Amino acid sequence: MIELAGVTYTYPDTERAVLHGLDLSITEGIVFGIVGASGVGKSTLAKVISGFIPHSEGGELEGAVTVAGIDVVKATLLDVVSKVGLVTQNPFNQITGARFSVEEEIAFGLENLGIPRDEMIERVGAVIARFGIQELRDRSPFALSGGQQQLVAIASIVVMEPAILVMDEPTSQLDPSGTRLVFDIIDRVAEQGTTVVLLEHKLELLREHAQVVAVLAEGRIVLSGAPREVLADDRLDQWGVGSTRFTSAARAAISAELASADSAIPVSLKEAVSYFSGGRR
Amino acid sequence: MSSTTAEPNKTRNLIFIILGALVVIATYLYLIIGQPTDIAAGLGPSALIALAGYLIGAILIGVGAIHRLPTNTLVLIPVAIAINIVVGQLTAALGLPFYFDSIGTILVAVVAGPAAGAVTGAFTNVIWGLTLSPLALPFAITAIVIGVLAGYAARIGVFRTYWLPPIAGLVTGVIAALVSAPIAAFIFGGATGGGTGAIVAAFQAFGNSLLASTTLQGLLSDPVDKLITFTVVMLILLALPTRFKQRFPFVRQYNVLPGTKAKKLD
Amino acid sequence: MTTLYLDRPSPIHRLNPVTKLVGLLAVVLVVFALPQWWASVAILVLVMVPAAVVSGVGGRLLLVTLILAGPLLLVLIIAQGFFYPGRETILFALGALQFSLEGLLLAVGVGTRTAVLVAASVLLLLTTHPGALMTALTERGMPAKVSYVVSSTLQIIPAFRTRAESILLAQRSRGLRTRGNIVRRVRVLLPLVTPLVLGVFVDVEERSTAMEARAFGSTRSRVSYAVIPDSRGQQFSRWALIVLALAVVVLSFTGVLR
Repeated sequence: MIELAGVTYTYPDTERAVLHGLDLSITEGIVFGIVGASGVGKSTLAKVISGFIPHSEGGELEGAVTVAGIDVVKATLLDVVSKVGLVTQNPFNQITGARFSVEEEIAFGLENLGIPRDEMIERVGAVIARFGIQELRDRSPFALSGGQQQLVAIASIVVMEPAILVMDEPTSQLDPSGTRLVFDIIDRVAEQGTTVVLLEHKLELLREHAQVVAVLAEGRIVLSGAPREVLADDRLDQWGVGSTRFTSAARAAISAELASADSAIPVSLKEAVSYFSGGRR
Repeated sequence: MSSTTAEPNKTRNLIFIILGALVVIATYLYLIIGQPTDIAAGLGPSALIALAGYLIGAILIGVGAIHRLPTNTLVLIPVAIAINIVVGQLTAALGLPFYFDSIGTILVAVVAGPAAGAVTGAFTNVIWGLTLSPLALPFAITAIVIGVLAGYAARIGVFRTYWLPPIAGLVTGVIAALVSAPIAAFIFGGATGGGTGAIVAAFQAFGNSLLASTTLQGLLSDPVDKLITFTVVMLILLALPTRFKQRFPFVRQYNVLPGTKAKKLD
Repeated sequence: MTTLYLDRPSPIHRLNPVTKLVGLLAVVLVVFALPQWWASVAILVLVMVPAAVVSGVGGRLLLVTLILAGPLLLVLIIAQGFFYPGRETILFALGALQFSLEGLLLAVGVGTRTAVLVAASVLLLLTTHPGALMTALTERGMPAKVSYVVSSTLQIIPAFRTRAESILLAQRSRGLRTRGNIVRRVRVLLPLVTPLVLGVFVDVEERSTAMEARAFGSTRSRVSYAVIPDSRGQQFSRWALIVLALAVVVLSFTGVLR
């Protein structure tokens, strides 16, 4: 579904490449998490996958980027945008202001794509129902909380029925309840068969919601695999990623010789309970 | 999508702009040269010609210019207009003898060029007309002129120095006053709000024609207002970190601001 | 949303926005084309007053028109009453100043014309939701970029105003006075401008990306999601109004209506 091969990218008027010979392969229909230190290039990678690099940003891009069967570099941005959706961090910046109600704001992308009205009404209604935001329909998008605005932003993209949804730290500006709302939506979207590429810091939530997790460091993907293994890897610190509370607790216990170094290091709460109870729970 | 306008559209937009400019210039010349300058003319055909000519010209220029703007320039404009309106209103509320309602216009013009400045100016008057007073609409062409002049001033390097922006502001203010004078005289009879009507009447009392009076009233306030605004914009841009300014293609291409020449940096 | 729009169940509210816009243009064309001093007064009485009554927002319309156009009419009466160069009939004198009838009539002519301009525009604004106006115009060929700029600006102004007010409040509580000499009052503006300006530069890319992610700028022919009702009757009326207004203009310019 998504294939990046040997991707190297340098922003305009800069000398150092942000991505260096990056290879990445993502299969269809899963939630694929990508972690990495701040500033390492997660947003850059998000833009490469969604086509905004090179079409909007310029700069020098080498390598092959194939997404949902399209060669991103050769296609137009419009072609890519219909297949790949992008959601970013700040909910307020994704409310276009072009429309005065949530319902019309969600329909905005469909209007731009030239979708017939009957189909627009059907799709918008379906997305609003699926996201459970019926009571927000007639409200002004500017009168919503951050979490609600982010839901509207995601709905505006999902309604365009992209095969792939790229989400660049979608919960970094939200409080815990807003974060829960968004991750809940991520599950629902993945259930419909959309491939979700989720660039995130919140490791524990990635453990729960992602099927594969990859680590971005030094301009490349340096590790990729099941969340349990990747998030317990001891090189994460050197890559600037950090660990979940449960992993840190387990490691501390091991160095204090309070726990065994043989069992698999826990990454989630359930695993931690099992680990610390010696497998009894 | 960076070139959403196909080639035939590019020509069409240019034609709109040039046509609009010609309409405005023709209207202006007709009013200045061909018409009696006292208020009797205010109830004659010159009022309609002034209104129609300036509005049609402004619409043509505005539409032609807006199509030339890529999305990353377009998103600057609503915020810049909001600045114009909020600062302009506050200035009036404070009772200051200035307008300060074109800070956003000039700011956008300097970082994104004359077309962007024109659109910001035009739509500031549209929004002002929609929310505060419809009397602002006929003056849209003045706001366009200010945006265009500021943009071209930036393009030729005025904002690379410390002493040229105030002068450019002064010149822009003079031209703005000259453009506004026929609008104030022929459409509004000299009374456009605030204390302007009284000042215009005072000039008339000294024997000046209506057109001359509105021109003099404009020259009292516009040049100083624009001088200050250009200077404020220069200071704002000087204080802004380079990485914000560097991102604008217009700034890089024409080396608009000190230290932003297009070059490879780390 | 900061326009004057007041939601009321009136026939004028229900009209298609373009019909109302054409009505406004027709009224403005007519009052600017007719040279008689009483032309605008007649339009005010015969057209604007009935429309105000029917629209259910007559009170607000009257208030806004008085506030915006009233002072101008007064200034004009004083300025042109005393200083109009073509004075012949003197009504009264104040010391050396002579108040002429010609000046008065001219002032009334121009002043009421401005009042009609204000009243007709404000009536449109009071009875038309800006979103509906933008959609109706876009359906008829107005560029989507124009609709975006207008709608987006209208919606972010309240947030900017609130931010400005809280900055002002903070200043006042720190003792900065908003009265006093000019320099002091100008200083009030300075701390206000910087954060507002930063709002221009920060997040430009994210906002731009969000627009492009929604295919904005696509050249595909679009249908609008919202439905703005129209009718054959209104279509006909629009053409009739345009023809009528142009007829008045032509007749006036060719001297027939002088």
